[in-house]
Amino acid sequence: MTLLDMTTPAGVTIALLPEIVLSASAVLVLLVISWRHETAADSRLAGWLALGGVVLSAIAQAWLWISHVEASGLEQMVALDPFRFAGNLVILVSAAASILLSLAYMERERMLAPEFYALVLMATVGMMFLAGAEDLIVVFLGLEVMSIAVYVLAGFNRRSIFSAEAALKYFLIGAFASGFLLYGIALVFGATGNTNLQLIGAQFAGGPMPLMGKLGLGLLLIGFAFKVAAVPFHMWAPDVYDGSPTPVTGLMATGVKAAGFLALTRVLMEAFPAAISLWQPIVGVLAVVTMIVGNLVALSQRSIKRMLAYSSVAHAGYLLVAVWPGTRLGAGSVLLYLLAYGLTTLAAFGILATLGHGGERDVTNDDIAGLATTRPWVAFGLTVCMLSLFGFPGTFGFIGKWYILQAVINQRQFILPVVLVLTSVISAGYYLPVIMAMYMKPARAETDEAGMRRLGRPASFAVVLTVVAVVVFGLWPSPAFNSAVDSAATLTETTTPLAGQ
Amino acid sequence: MSAILASIGYSHWALHVLIVLPLVGIIPILVGPVAAARRVALFVTVVEFIVSMGLWWGFAPTAGMQFVSSTPWIPRLGVSYSVGIDGISLFMVLLSTALMPLAVLSSFTYITKHERAYYAFLLAQLVGMVGCFIATDLFVFYVFFEVLLIPMYFLIGIWGGANRLYAAIKFFIYTIFGSLLMLVAILAMVWRIGAQTGTLSFSYEHLLTNAAQVGPLAPWLFAAFALAFAIKVPIFPFHTWLPDAHVEAPTAGSVLLAGVLLKIGTYGFLRFAVPFFPQVAHDPFVSRLIVVLAVIGIIYGALVALVQPDFKKLVAYSSVSHLGFVMLGIWGGTVQSVQGSLMVMISHGLSTGALFFLIGMLYERRHTREIAAYGGIARVIPVFGIILTVVALSSIGLPGLNGFVGEFLVLLGSFGNHPVATIIATTGVIFAAAYLLWAIQRVLFNRLDKPENERLTDLNPRELIVLLPLVAGIVWLGLFPGPVLRRMEPAARHFVEITQPVPGSTGAASVAEVRP
Repeated sequence: MTLLDMTTPAGVTIALLPEIVLSASAVLVLLVISWRHETAADSRLAGWLALGGVVLSAIAQAWLWISHVEASGLEQMVALDPFRFAGNLVILVSAAASILLSLAYMERERMLAPEFYALVLMATVGMMFLAGAEDLIVVFLGLEVMSIAVYVLAGFNRRSIFSAEAALKYFLIGAFASGFLLYGIALVFGATGNTNLQLIGAQFAGGPMPLMGKLGLGLLLIGFAFKVAAVPFHMWAPDVYDGSPTPVTGLMATGVKAAGFLALTRVLMEAFPAAISLWQPIVGVLAVVTMIVGNLVALSQRSIKRMLAYSSVAHAGYLLVAVWPGTRLGAGSVLLYLLAYGLTTLAAFGILATLGHGGERDVTNDDIAGLATTRPWVAFGLTVCMLSLFGFPGTFGFIGKWYILQAVINQRQFILPVVLVLTSVISAGYYLPVIMAMYMKPARAETDEAGMRRLGRPASFAVVLTVVAVVVFGLWPSPAFNSAVDSAATLTETTTPLAGQ
Repeated sequence: MSAILASIGYSHWALHVLIVLPLVGIIPILVGPVAAARRVALFVTVVEFIVSMGLWWGFAPTAGMQFVSSTPWIPRLGVSYSVGIDGISLFMVLLSTALMPLAVLSSFTYITKHERAYYAFLLAQLVGMVGCFIATDLFVFYVFFEVLLIPMYFLIGIWGGANRLYAAIKFFIYTIFGSLLMLVAILAMVWRIGAQTGTLSFSYEHLLTNAAQVGPLAPWLFAAFALAFAIKVPIFPFHTWLPDAHVEAPTAGSVLLAGVLLKIGTYGFLRFAVPFFPQVAHDPFVSRLIVVLAVIGIIYGALVALVQPDFKKLVAYSSVSHLGFVMLGIWGGTVQSVQGSLMVMISHGLSTGALFFLIGMLYERRHTREIAAYGGIARVIPVFGIILTVVALSSIGLPGLNGFVGEFLVLLGSFGNHPVATIIATTGVIFAAAYLLWAIQRVLFNRLDKPENERLTDLNPRELIVLLPLVAGIVWLGLFPGPVLRRMEPAARHFVEITQPVPGSTGAASVAEVRP
């Protein structure tokens, strides 16, 4: 174990090494592309540079994790615990996969602006700050850094009005959400005089929560609910996911969502353990409504991309169930599920990107009919993704869901698990038709072969790797599982004594 | 025989080989040439059957779980890959491995598209079935229970009849609905027992020993387990997926569905639902409810079968009726009734399996399953006629054939605890005679008035190889049920003892030596 004094510049530098490496890479990419920003080759160069930055940052992160770095005193501004390290790695994985998916995609869709990759890196830095924030100010900073970059990414396809709509919608709703969040932060600061999560927690632990604190908590919850697209604050998500370029959708559905949930988990567990009886019912109700609405609406979608967008809302519901217990077990299940869901969703969007063009908005089940005969491996990969999203045993998605159920049941709560599995049954109604179309329907006579574009080696590599990971972790979950549990064990745990034990 | 088995260390590797062999077999099927796929599948399933036969001799009728082994899988959560068999699972494993080579063989000409995928799914199905029956860890059981769905879903959805997509998704969603609730129940049970005993484990033994610790949760947990298995059996009124799935599935799919998959439901009751929560299962209300539903299933299934114009649908509904006997026997509460249930499970696998094979063979010749399309064909294809008659008689429960033993024991054993229900159930035997005899009369006898039927060809050697083992089993079980009953008797007795519905009923004399 290495102790770091986070009040010294050297200490902070080491603590923030992954973020610093990534920011430096973003600057480097910007620098390089200011000379080379014309051809497809330039765009690719920027992509590979960005990928290098992500890999370096991941190495720095892994190094911090293996050397068991801990803060010698209070964690200022940014947490220094395995929960942050593991969360950052989840985010970096989704960034790396998105970059790999984009390399050929941007070229194919004639979006040859290498700034794209710099924006992806900046968004990722924001996500990492958001997920690792130990201070409400850093939460806000991270959120903004992330969001502003993602607003631009959502509208990156300038020729598509849907992309523009996505960007505008995301920006307006995002600004709205930031407002809620900031107001919440201000009220909590007013109630406690602190912005550090642990100090706030200590402050509230003393006695009854002041009204100002309660209001602050409520506004914070609303802000986060907007960001993670929980019903009824989800209205933006389908249009934004649908309109954005597919790799960006992948990044939003995984990285952005992961950062939001990691921050939410940390804020609730460290700053508001005393108010658990206050926020648990809210999170529980949000979870139930999100699962029901997300799954039911996904059922009626024709476009696969839009279906995945609503399914991502449904998964936000499952994740809220994981947040609900407010225990280390719950935090572990948030991490595990984020990884499981992230890998699967990235693979699914990657495969979707090969199935259409122009943003893949119009790819329906009819378009992939008979895919098992024409492109068996693609069909197999998408099948694995659908089964994992559904939570079928043998895939990582099952392990994730199973662990969420376990975490919630351990708190003597049975309504949420039952709603979770029943809504999962509903989800079979939209995941299975995808498999059905590919394997059980004949290929259409006038199959639009030209409509299907291949995505090149890097994207295929990313898809294969994520699909394999989904299966391997599904069958042999112990490594991922133990890391998630151990990382979550470092979070401060709320003490809710179990009756009857 | 057992000395030979011991000398090769059979008990250490047998169950693992049964799981790994089909999995490995999938690889050459998928990468090899299309023409070889069926032969590889046949070879693998025959080897699997030969390996599984050792269980018959290696099994010691007195002890509980045998051939046990356990390897940690997810140690943090108390999950280990544990397998073992007892007198209940032994026969289910043998039934699965015995039907599988026949299912493969019967598909040689029936399946003409995507052959590699077809045989790969059959082998995957075998893994799921065997895994389900040998799992002694609830997590492992649950995984296999669900994994079973996928191959059958594809078998129905790709190689099924005209309405296959509807049937496939209905089958999937019905089953998954129950099993996901069961997952919650399993987790709740493991958590609760873990909290009470301090050991977090999905091990069957651990959970069974401490099942009483679940306390007030018991009725809910039982309800979740029972629902999952009731849908799988299926018990009336959860049976509506069954006719669709059966009619649309290809022949081999129907055979496996009826022969093995339905039994996983009744097996679940025998292995998990009832032993875990005996007080709930034998609560007067619950027990009456299940018995009433079982009897409704027996009568309703038979009556609906009577009016089916489609031969395959007729047999599908007859399954609902037969499985009703199994449920009645499980709740009969005596050693005879439980042994009877197990016998019905085996007999139904053989007879209904054979019926589906026969219907499939007829379908391959005429491409219709309408009973009205046939008539008098016994004169054209006599061998087919003889076999169909024998199989139908066994399904009816003619003494001397296998169907009789099980149903007789069920009725005999259940009479003490549920006299009225048993009397009503007995009429189900009469209805069975009615629908099947009427059906074979219309198909085989009557007047040969359709010119198309005059050109039918009789069974070829391959088809005979599929059918004769089943007929042999039907006759053998009917005449000499002793060896089978002897092996299942301790398990049945153990089941009755731990569930203990009515004091004194466990003292019933062994029926292992009963010869009809």
